[in-house]
Amino acid sequence: MDLFIPWLLTGVPFAGALVCLAYWSDPYRVKISTIVWSVISLASIAGVAHRLPTPSDGLLPFYLLPIAAVVSSLGQPVHENHRLSWTMTLVFLGLGMGVLTAGNPFGTLCQISLMLIIMFLLYHHHTTLWPISWWGIGSFAVGIVGAGLSLASEPPLSSVASLATCAVLLPLMPFHNGYLTALTRLPGSLPPFIVLLLPVLGLHGLATAMPTMPNEFVSVVSLLALVSSLYGAIKALAQSRVRLLVGYGSVSFFSILWWFVAGAHAATPRSAVLAGAVGLATGGLLVAWQVIRTRYGDDVDPQAISGLATAMPKYAVLFSLLGLAAMGIPPFGVFAGFMGLLLTAPPSSTIGLFIALTAWLAASWYIMQMVQQLLFGARRPDLRYADLRRPEFTSLLIVVLALLALGLAPTSLYSPDQTPNTTVAMERPLAWNR
Amino acid sequence: MEPLDHVTDIESRRMELRGVVRLAGEVIAQYWPMRTFVHHNPLHSIEYLPFEEAVKRGKRFMGGNGYLPSHLYREYLKAGRILSTHLDDAVKPRVVDKHVTLGSHTVAHSSVLRACLAEGLCSPAMEPLDDQLDDPDKPLINALAHKLERVLLPFSLDDRIRKVVDENQSALCRWLTLSHWCDDTLGTQIVQQINEQMIKWCGAFLDEGHATWVMPGREKGLYEAWKAMASHEWSPCGIKDSCRKIARLPDHPEDALLESLDALGIPSELLQDYLSLQLTALPGWAGFIKWRGEERDYPWQQAFPVGLVKFLAIRLWYARELVHQVCKDHLDIDGRYEAVMAYMRDYPEEYYLRRQRVAGRLPALYAEEVDRLSHRKGQSWNNILTRYRTEVIPRLQAAVRRGAARRLLALAHSLNIDANALAESAPADLKQVVDWMEAFPESDHGPVWLKALEAGYQEQLLGHLHARTENTASSETARPYSQSVYCIDVRSEPFRRHLESVGPHETYGFAGFFAAFIRYRAWGKEHDTEQFPVIMRAKNEVREIPRSYLDHKVSLHAARAKWVHAGHTLLHDLKENVVTPYVMVESLGWFYGLPIFGKTLIPALYQRWTAWLRRLFVPSLATTLTIDKLAPGETAEMLEAEQQAVIREALHEQLGLRSFRITPALVEGLRQRALTLEGDPEPPIPAEEIERVGLTPETIDAFVETLRRQYDLTARSASRHKERLTRTGFTLEEQVLTVDTALRMMGLTKNFARLVLFCAHGSTSDNNPYESALDCGACGGNEGKPNARALAMMANNPKVRERIAKLGITIPSDTHFLAGQMDTTTDTIQLFDLEDAPPTHRADMARLQEDLKEASALTSQERCARFPDIQQVVTETEAEAQVRRRSVDWSQVRPEWGLSNNTSFLIGRRELTKGLDLGGRVFLHSYDYREDPSNRLLEVLLTAPQVVAQWINMEHYFSAVDNEVYGSGSKIYHNVVGRLGIMSGPWSDLRLGLARQTVMSGEGAYHEPMRLLTIIEAPRARIEKLIARHDVLQHFYHNEWVHLVALDPEERKWYRYRPDGTWHPIVIP
Repeated sequence: MDLFIPWLLTGVPFAGALVCLAYWSDPYRVKISTIVWSVISLASIAGVAHRLPTPSDGLLPFYLLPIAAVVSSLGQPVHENHRLSWTMTLVFLGLGMGVLTAGNPFGTLCQISLMLIIMFLLYHHHTTLWPISWWGIGSFAVGIVGAGLSLASEPPLSSVASLATCAVLLPLMPFHNGYLTALTRLPGSLPPFIVLLLPVLGLHGLATAMPTMPNEFVSVVSLLALVSSLYGAIKALAQSRVRLLVGYGSVSFFSILWWFVAGAHAATPRSAVLAGAVGLATGGLLVAWQVIRTRYGDDVDPQAISGLATAMPKYAVLFSLLGLAAMGIPPFGVFAGFMGLLLTAPPSSTIGLFIALTAWLAASWYIMQMVQQLLFGARRPDLRYADLRRPEFTSLLIVVLALLALGLAPTSLYSPDQTPNTTVAMERPLAWNR
Repeated sequence: MEPLDHVTDIESRRMELRGVVRLAGEVIAQYWPMRTFVHHNPLHSIEYLPFEEAVKRGKRFMGGNGYLPSHLYREYLKAGRILSTHLDDAVKPRVVDKHVTLGSHTVAHSSVLRACLAEGLCSPAMEPLDDQLDDPDKPLINALAHKLERVLLPFSLDDRIRKVVDENQSALCRWLTLSHWCDDTLGTQIVQQINEQMIKWCGAFLDEGHATWVMPGREKGLYEAWKAMASHEWSPCGIKDSCRKIARLPDHPEDALLESLDALGIPSELLQDYLSLQLTALPGWAGFIKWRGEERDYPWQQAFPVGLVKFLAIRLWYARELVHQVCKDHLDIDGRYEAVMAYMRDYPEEYYLRRQRVAGRLPALYAEEVDRLSHRKGQSWNNILTRYRTEVIPRLQAAVRRGAARRLLALAHSLNIDANALAESAPADLKQVVDWMEAFPESDHGPVWLKALEAGYQEQLLGHLHARTENTASSETARPYSQSVYCIDVRSEPFRRHLESVGPHETYGFAGFFAAFIRYRAWGKEHDTEQFPVIMRAKNEVREIPRSYLDHKVSLHAARAKWVHAGHTLLHDLKENVVTPYVMVESLGWFYGLPIFGKTLIPALYQRWTAWLRRLFVPSLATTLTIDKLAPGETAEMLEAEQQAVIREALHEQLGLRSFRITPALVEGLRQRALTLEGDPEPPIPAEEIERVGLTPETIDAFVETLRRQYDLTARSASRHKERLTRTGFTLEEQVLTVDTALRMMGLTKNFARLVLFCAHGSTSDNNPYESALDCGACGGNEGKPNARALAMMANNPKVRERIAKLGITIPSDTHFLAGQMDTTTDTIQLFDLEDAPPTHRADMARLQEDLKEASALTSQERCARFPDIQQVVTETEAEAQVRRRSVDWSQVRPEWGLSNNTSFLIGRRELTKGLDLGGRVFLHSYDYREDPSNRLLEVLLTAPQVVAQWINMEHYFSAVDNEVYGSGSKIYHNVVGRLGIMSGPWSDLRLGLARQTVMSGEGAYHEPMRLLTIIEAPRARIEKLIARHDVLQHFYHNEWVHLVALDPEERKWYRYRPDGTWHPIVIP
């Protein structure tokens, strides 16, 4: 019976995708189907969770993926152009479930399929605003090769190959282009979904590969992670486009996660909290930006928008909360994940910690700047302001509540089999205190 | 264009420049220090222009709107405050007799304009290039847009570029400074950078005792002090080599300004406009400097001179350096007028794209491209423009058509035309309607709305007054209980109404300074206040002194007051010192908790308690005023006594001599010597007196020098002081003239009551920098108490009464004049000098006080109904408690809210308005034309109180229509700067006008912004003569700053005065 569970969890979203195809001529029904089947997927996970073997990164990703699918679909306006993205959201959700629940080789095959589909979509879907990016497509090719090698070879080569795939999914410089390209080029509701899906899958792979990784290699990964976190923060500071700013910002945070994981030689449920929270917050910000694009066009210059605080108060409140969550302010999940890792897995290097904190603090600069630009300043008299419609409001509210839950709920909730290590912080003083 | 350097004579250039600066300063209003807040018209200097034109100029120079946002007017329309008929009348001059057919409907031009106003169809709206928002009308809009494609010719990018370039070329240096041009074209923030520098320097230089560490070198003047300080600054605003550049600037600010103007290449014919633009960048600071520059007697101006030329010399230096730097870096051109003009002419496409990018009108991709190219010039820009032309322009054209279609659809909804019928209409008709709407943009709606709003109010008010004049009973001749005279202020109207309702009291309205032009010094104060309208001057001074029978208590009172003052000074110094605050917080910090909790939690109780404590420590003394002129002997005696007191104090302070050792002979000897003119033989001081105190002749000589230098005890200062003392008080003739004028102007010449009250007004509020804005405008923003006391004392003088009787005003011997003051925040009346009242009037006094109390409770009750935080009807007692609490609540942003909503000024007999509820919106000045055969009194009323009323009205008007520009924004962010004004937050221009909470209620306007309506009960011919005589009246009425309506007393008919100088009879239903 337990063998059937991965198939069930993978199959439910696929069934939903088929239903979407049946309603293809009616965009509204396609959207509703996506949401309903995502909810069914969430319910089925909740139903069988106790029978699933608990992975080392916990069960949190299982719950977050359907939530992200609902959020990303809800945030999109009803339009025939988005039918493909809604359907693909379910397909991606199914593949993601397959990666998380099934072992090798099915899981790896799901992973390869996912990346292949993304590559295909990236090849086909590009605009003058976001031209084709061969670097991005190439990154996913590296990921596929890595996944293939990990399947075909023995450790330590398989571990190293698997690590390359993880670096593509859970973005780490220099493999981050795939993630960024997918975030900026994929159509419709896919970017807010894949910003959670890819990192969560990457972390899942990392949880498997990291314990077998040679120490020398881990040191290189640590160094790379620190460089990557600074690189992401600096790039984010220099961006004028919202999607790139949000993308680089999340690269910076995921790189910090890499550094923690490399330092601890393991991906724990707390890592999953950070990955999930960063992914969810990034997805929320993308949905919030989608709200603007829905009103003012895809290629609107963010500098042209200002004064939303008075004109769109509901939007302003939720967007501000999302901004606070994304920059790691308590009591949201990003803060909880970060602090959880900091306290349970004390950093090995003071300089490393300083760089990680610098990258974290930088987020409060670029994210606040973005929030300030959009919400405050003079209200333009020629802009038509329309506050959040109900689906958009619901979508953003779910993200905020989920982030709040991640910040407040105990980690043991997502990893019932693991005893939380609460005493480490007291027993082992922090490295920079010595 | 004539280059400036053609003019060679530097002195004549300086003079010419000062003249240009003076003219350039016309666009900014003077800014009075906040402690004597004076309501004024922010566009006062350009009242010689018609109202609409002045408003446009205000928009151009300061960016301020002259009318409420259209959506607020639309709310008035929906609420019935604006009637459709008035709106139709107001829009009529713009209507042409044309029609089009939409579906089965014939639509007139007037209907389209009406719909534009009522539905906001012409509000500016940017149609997005593509949006995906759910819109059920989208198919219809697309269909209409498609239909319009045939008739709505697509705009050409080249035309747009040419238009932008032409407009900006003609605007440069007229409405657009070079700094602004750089900001708009290159995305720099030069204007902000310069403003920040100017705020920093002005704040430091103009400080009036607020700063602990003052700016050094201020006595040299603003420019010189700035030069000395700024030359030590390291690269302000990123200006390279700034120290050397500033050090090399000319010594004269005029020369520096000319140098900067030459460097920027400003053509001479644009000089005035350019400097106006520079001044309007910071109208608050510039306005205050303008005021100070013109107030040569102002002590701070005398000590630290400042003027607009100095201000501009500094500002233009920053502008020149930054513009030059930015133009070089970004465009590789000189930061000069000709170079910028040439750039626009030679690279129009590049210029267009840059401006569009900074304005946020380019799609994101193009914005990035422009950013990438921003440091290049030339060929590569053509590529992006070509792409923009082919990819974006067609989408923009389609968006324009969609926008037009959306408006048509909204029009159809508004006119109840079936939307589908639009699709069947002829494209030419659709285009015609679109053209009509575009020809009536929302920026043109303001004047129409304003006229409609004013018409509604005026019709209602005149209707009430007309009904009153029709039914006026013959004036009562029975002797009233009392007669009381209140300020014309709108806040007096409810009180007068209520007082009249509680008993047979007569009330009169008169400008709150009561014709007593006095400079006043309160007992124990060091500075005078000017108790008259700011447009006038005083020649008499009045001092408050303790009553003679209290002489023995004066020294004790002075000593205690001195202790209190010393305590305050000590506390202040401890707080401001570099070191002591660290200890202070620990040791005394807790004590501050008491006032914090007291003021916050129990404000009324706390206030009562502290007042009791103050009275306990320094009990108040009964005082009187120096109304009568001093005799020459008395003047000399007083001067001598003051000088001797100074010498005694100096001996104690400088030489440590105790009072018992100081003899009168020594003091007199020192005084004589200090007052000796240079070159005259010095009078000797008796040697035994010097020996007695143990001083040497050298010490005496040094001490005399100190007296002259430090204590200003010289012959010249003595003469000045003596001259001033001679100004103290009024001669009998002056008193007679003052009383006679006042009584005649207010129409109180017969049937005097036993008690006549002159009631001034003041206010009480806490934590309110705008406190003086609540005081009396006619008293220069001060309380009117001294004026009321002065007039009452003059009127009680038997000699004055005797003389006045000969002039035809017989005041009965049993009439006693009282002085009082109404607190407009608590509505209570305080009476003064009661001990002067004859014992025979005790019963009258008691009755009057009783009725005043009742009237004050009723007034409070009426006022409470206006406060937004009081929802339910309150009883009289509750109302009294409520207003008292508000007056001492330090968190209360609306302690009074009485002056807002003013609308009209009525000059006429009280019979016209008695019993009418005018809602506290009308200035009431009593006037009986029969008492003014020479027209002199009316002339005074129109040129003085009306001007004050118009200033108050315009201050409220502009603060309401654009609170950010003409008002001072929210009180929440206010910070007092330099004890002279308000800034928003830590760093801003001096905020002009009134706070948002004063004129707005939530998002809507509490003060309905309308121009003043002056109603005069007098023959038209007389009014006409006065208008012809005075420019100010011509500006008011011909330029439509004030509406004038006359009630011709002979014909009993109402007339409206038109801007063309004719009278138009008003038909009142």
